Amino acid sequence: MNKKEINDRDLDLTGRLMADMNPQLLEFLQSKVNSFVKWDLVRFFHDNPHTTDTANNIARYAGRSVDAIQNELLELTQDGVLEENRLGDMVVYSLSPDRDLRELLESFVKASDDRQFRVKAIYHIIRGTRQ
Amino acid sequence: MERIKTGIPGLDEMLGGGFLPQTANLVEGAPGTGKSTLGMQFIYHGILACGEPGLILTFEEFPQQYYEDAANFGWDFRQMEKEGKLRVVMTSPEVTKTDLEQVGGRIQQLMYEIGAKRVLVDSLSHFERLSADPAQLRSIVYGFVNGLKREGLTAVLTRENAALLGESDGSDDALTFLVDSYTLLRYVEIESAIHKALLVLKMRGSDHDKTIHQFEITSRGIEVHAPFEGREGIMSGSPRRMVDSFVQAFVRR
Repeated sequence: MNKKEINDRDLDLTGRLMADMNPQLLEFLQSKVNSFVKWDLVRFFHDNPHTTDTANNIARYAGRSVDAIQNELLELTQDGVLEENRLGDMVVYSLSPDRDLRELLESFVKASDDRQFRVKAIYHIIRGTRQ
Repeated sequence: MERIKTGIPGLDEMLGGGFLPQTANLVEGAPGTGKSTLGMQFIYHGILACGEPGLILTFEEFPQQYYEDAANFGWDFRQMEKEGKLRVVMTSPEVTKTDLEQVGGRIQQLMYEIGAKRVLVDSLSHFERLSADPAQLRSIVYGFVNGLKREGLTAVLTRENAALLGESDGSDDALTFLVDSYTLLRYVEIESAIHKALLVLKMRGSDHDKTIHQFEITSRGIEVHAPFEGREGIMSGSPRRMVDSFVQAFVRR
């Protein structure tokens, strides 16, 4: 077995170990919360489920710049996690009222309190951003 | 006349029984004087004792902060939210104002969802960033206050005053004309110790106690005590004993 094969085998083993989590949460993580900014945003909307606000204000609440969150807000909206609406001349974002989505988000945030889960989640986000 | 009780011992007596229904009530004070606590106690009492669900609109603090602050007084806001009696909404003045102007906006939906009767707006000071023009600001706040009244809510609106002791910081006093009652919270220095004073300056359509009372923030929330006695210049932040003023005026000439 050459060096590359050993490396691939180790990566595969790590990948399998890291994928050892609730399949729904893994899917949520890989398909929707696939960046650290999105993780911050879904956590924010979980903690503030009634918030409806502009990208500028959400950026301020999250302690980020609007440039850092604008695309992530759009992608979360496209993925059905958030809703985008027009309010007067403003575009505002809020958490989707979908019950299943909210339950999934609740499970995700609860799971994130566990260090092992966080390590695995970080692995998937980093791997996702490299691909 | 029907009254909306705050549940704050001493304050309801000063207000002649409580706030009048569907009114906007401004509570102004320096940081740490207890404006938000007063507002939270008003909301808590409404839910617990009067069966009146409440809404908290916050423009700065995260809901988590309210849950924690309330828990320190033994008020379980998190449970009240779960039971659909309370909503803590973090938002911004511009969105709230525009949303309230719409028919069927999100805030209106939330109010209907829980049947809200009371609202705490914490704080009105954040509206100041919407316009530097006092006339325009007054118009914005006027529309906002009327929107709350239209929804049948009795509101406590807090406003920050940067002056820790003594005179007001010169905030726009025009806003005080828009509200139905105006309560001031002040720090007062007496014999090298800081006390807190509360004064109901204005109450539209009702008589009220005009004396300046001491109050404390206890483990159960705010408690308003007896008026300051034998002292004058309380609201200056540095009151004098009345006997000293008498001596200064008439004896040491």
